Amino acid sequence: MSEAQVERQRAASGATLLVLVGLGIAFALLVAFLAAAKTHSGPIFGEANMLYTALVLYVGASTLYVGYGVTGIERQVNSASLLTAIGFVANTAAVAHRWSIAGRPPFSNMYEMLLSFVWTLALMTLIAERQYKVKIIGSITMPITVISVILMQLLPSDVRPLVPALQSTWLQVHVTLAMLSYAACALSFALAIMFLIKDNMKTESFQALTSAGMVAVYAAVLLTRFRAGALAVTAYDLEGKSEVMISRGRPLFIQIPDLGWLYLLVLLSALAPLVLYIAGQVKKNQLLFDYASKGMFVTLMLQAAGLAIFMARVRTGHYGSAEANGLYTSALTANPFLLAAMVGGIIIGLLYMLLLWRREELNRMMPSAADLDRITYKIICFAFPLLTLMIASGAYWANQSWGTYWSWDPKETWAAITWLVYAGYLHMRITRGWRGRRAAWFAILGFCVVIFTFFGVTYLLPGLHAYAAG
Amino acid sequence: MGLEASWNKLYRTLTSVRTGIFFIIVVGIFSALGTVILQRPTSEPEAMQRAYSPETLLWLDRLGLTDIFHAWWFVAVVSMFCICLVFVTMDRWPNTRKIYATPVRFAGPSFRACLPQSVQIAVADEAGAYSTAERVLSSFGFKPERVTEEGATGLYAEKQRFSVLAVYLVHLSLLFIFAGYYIVDGIVGYRGNVMVPEGQARGQITLRDNRGGESKKTLPFLIRCDGAGEETYADGRPKKWWSKLALIENGKEVASKTIAVNDPFVYKGIRIYQASMGQTGTPKTLTFTATPKNGGAPEIIRIPLNGQATLADGESLSVLRWVPDFYIQDNEVYNKSNFPDNPAVELGLTNARGETKKLWIFYLQGNTTRGQDAPYEFAIRGAQMTQFTGLQISHHPGQYGVWVGVVLMAFGLPIAFYAQHQRIWTTIVGDDRGGKFLWMGGIANKNRDRFQNKFEQIKTALQKELGANAADGNARKREEKTLTKA
Repeated sequence: MSEAQVERQRAASGATLLVLVGLGIAFALLVAFLAAAKTHSGPIFGEANMLYTALVLYVGASTLYVGYGVTGIERQVNSASLLTAIGFVANTAAVAHRWSIAGRPPFSNMYEMLLSFVWTLALMTLIAERQYKVKIIGSITMPITVISVILMQLLPSDVRPLVPALQSTWLQVHVTLAMLSYAACALSFALAIMFLIKDNMKTESFQALTSAGMVAVYAAVLLTRFRAGALAVTAYDLEGKSEVMISRGRPLFIQIPDLGWLYLLVLLSALAPLVLYIAGQVKKNQLLFDYASKGMFVTLMLQAAGLAIFMARVRTGHYGSAEANGLYTSALTANPFLLAAMVGGIIIGLLYMLLLWRREELNRMMPSAADLDRITYKIICFAFPLLTLMIASGAYWANQSWGTYWSWDPKETWAAITWLVYAGYLHMRITRGWRGRRAAWFAILGFCVVIFTFFGVTYLLPGLHAYAAG
Repeated sequence: MGLEASWNKLYRTLTSVRTGIFFIIVVGIFSALGTVILQRPTSEPEAMQRAYSPETLLWLDRLGLTDIFHAWWFVAVVSMFCICLVFVTMDRWPNTRKIYATPVRFAGPSFRACLPQSVQIAVADEAGAYSTAERVLSSFGFKPERVTEEGATGLYAEKQRFSVLAVYLVHLSLLFIFAGYYIVDGIVGYRGNVMVPEGQARGQITLRDNRGGESKKTLPFLIRCDGAGEETYADGRPKKWWSKLALIENGKEVASKTIAVNDPFVYKGIRIYQASMGQTGTPKTLTFTATPKNGGAPEIIRIPLNGQATLADGESLSVLRWVPDFYIQDNEVYNKSNFPDNPAVELGLTNARGETKKLWIFYLQGNTTRGQDAPYEFAIRGAQMTQFTGLQISHHPGQYGVWVGVVLMAFGLPIAFYAQHQRIWTTIVGDDRGGKFLWMGGIANKNRDRFQNKFEQIKTALQKELGANAADGNARKREEKTLTKA
């Protein structure tokens, strides 16, 4: 009896902490957003306003979905669903407006791709909820849409005419297929995670998984941006409203002193729970798992602090560069992916906290493990042919535009690796009857490769190459 | 171990799914490596030297890690995977063929015992039971047929039999793609570049091999550029690059087309792409200002590079020499590059008596002929430079194999994943107490949980239809079911 009380009490204090951290993050994000928000001119139902409306509604929906995860009150999910649906309408209006202005579907740059991605993800969330009764899915997918919309506020959004290489019908075909298949992969990932929860995978294992994710995020940041204790960010010309370039395609990096050390500390704090978990596994010592669990709080706090300091220092101050003389300013606008990586790390941490404190309630809210397993499989069955056609259409387009249908460029190669992973999943499932955990892990691996193909190849691989020089 | 035994072992290894998966994983790992290490075919040699120290680069080159995708061992692993595919297909095909061509239509006792889904329903009369079963199965979209074998009768119904072939379609498509890329294009394919100035023709292209070296190749035709241009948007960003090309074979023009980015020219399997555009160091026409020394109004005069024009007083002016980047040595004008960085022009001014005076203009050194003996002072006013078009030429006949593979895959994959071969058998069985039962069993080749649901629905429908008879056999049916399961 007393044990149960202790248990409940801990859960309650945990929830308070969660809410506090959540509010802190929300506030930080809001500041970031307002700092970067553009002046909203144009028609009332124009793209900028509609997107802003969608953002507000998606933030509300995310909060309710996550709140539903905490409290388990069914009413909240209905409101969340309603907010998502209205937000989706606004999102659709934004897409339609941009489409009509540009005279082509919005697929040509990162901003437009994210616009389409958010739209697809919101749609798929609604479908998953209605069709498959997976109500909790929004607590994972809606925060992703929020991050994406905030990212979009930081990216250049003016409608630009297409450069010659992109003037092709195949652009539309290729990108539509990519968006659909990637969104489906994201959904299958969320479902696979839910399967693992429902399948009674140990909370410690989720903690290790989350920790590994955070380590990957900060290792990627440090690998490309750590400069002898300083953190390199892209210089931004505040008056000219553009990045400062050294030469074509090579932005100028400026160094914020000491921030590199802080991020190294964050990386170590994220690594500590993982190490403790492994030690706990090896020594079969429960105490180590408890320490690991405490470590998760520490790293989450440090990450939130790191994000706040990052935003404060990027916004105020002039910094020097190793590559050019003089002092330069920077802006959040110029570093959207650094920001996204950090916010991403915090979000997965919060999701883990949610699991830690509200596992029972989450379990109750989810469909059965067998159903989740089956739905994951169905979604991948949907994604895989699209993935195949996406690669094929890309090859066909390359044959029209680059002079060869396959040139082993990193993006192509990673798309092929993604294809191999999902082909492996389906093969094992169909011919070997792989079900349950093995299949779920396979689906998770598949989405990790998708993320790497989508962001990692673009922002990490050329980075690796550029810094290998120094 | 004898030869046969070794062969059997090798055969077993090559036909196992595990071997195929192993090779595919190896391909995946090396592909990933190939995106992290700079690759010679896609990077500039300078970039490679900047990225790696000379010793590292030497070793990377030796190990083939700077051109992984064309390294012999990478191609070997891909080939091994293809060989596995072929062996797996050879191994599985006879069985599939049997299922496809001569399916088991009557479920004998031993066959019945193997089926994952089955049910027994007590019935009174055989013929009635069959017609009821036929009706129920038809309502689920099956086309049951009556079969008689060894004196026993039964029903056989199936759906989507073709789906057992889909996996072969997918495997075949992979073979087409690999063969197209590695065999056909690896051996006869090429890709190169050529720059063609406006008004000229070229028949030789520069190929860059996978090690970063260069070689020349002569095309079976000449490419003549009849014009090239660039259009820009209002903000100065490029909108369109185009070139008007004509192909000359054996001295005759055989084809022509205006190409643009994303719109190549295909002639006899050779594709010509718009890759870049620029200006040569040579002008098409030059414009001069001619100011009479006796105080008349200045005249503007335009002359094609090798042409001439007549001035107002009847003297004729021609461009004798164009030097894009001059220097002077021993009182002679020489050229040092083809970039028009420091141009000089030699003019010829011919009067009515046919006497020609030679005059020099050095553009960056005053841009005038002042001080030279002539009735005019000339200055360069402008030049319209000759464009050149940078073309990429490729010949990849293997692409047709690849496209065939892609189409096969586009058909094969959905069938392989979504269609399932569903088979249902029914027959009348009796027990030792003299009872008669309609036995029904079924199986699907994939997605068995989905089929299980369907089987349950059919079972329920059948039980309802046979309801009157089923009631008394209920207890026994349950007992039978547990027996079948055991």
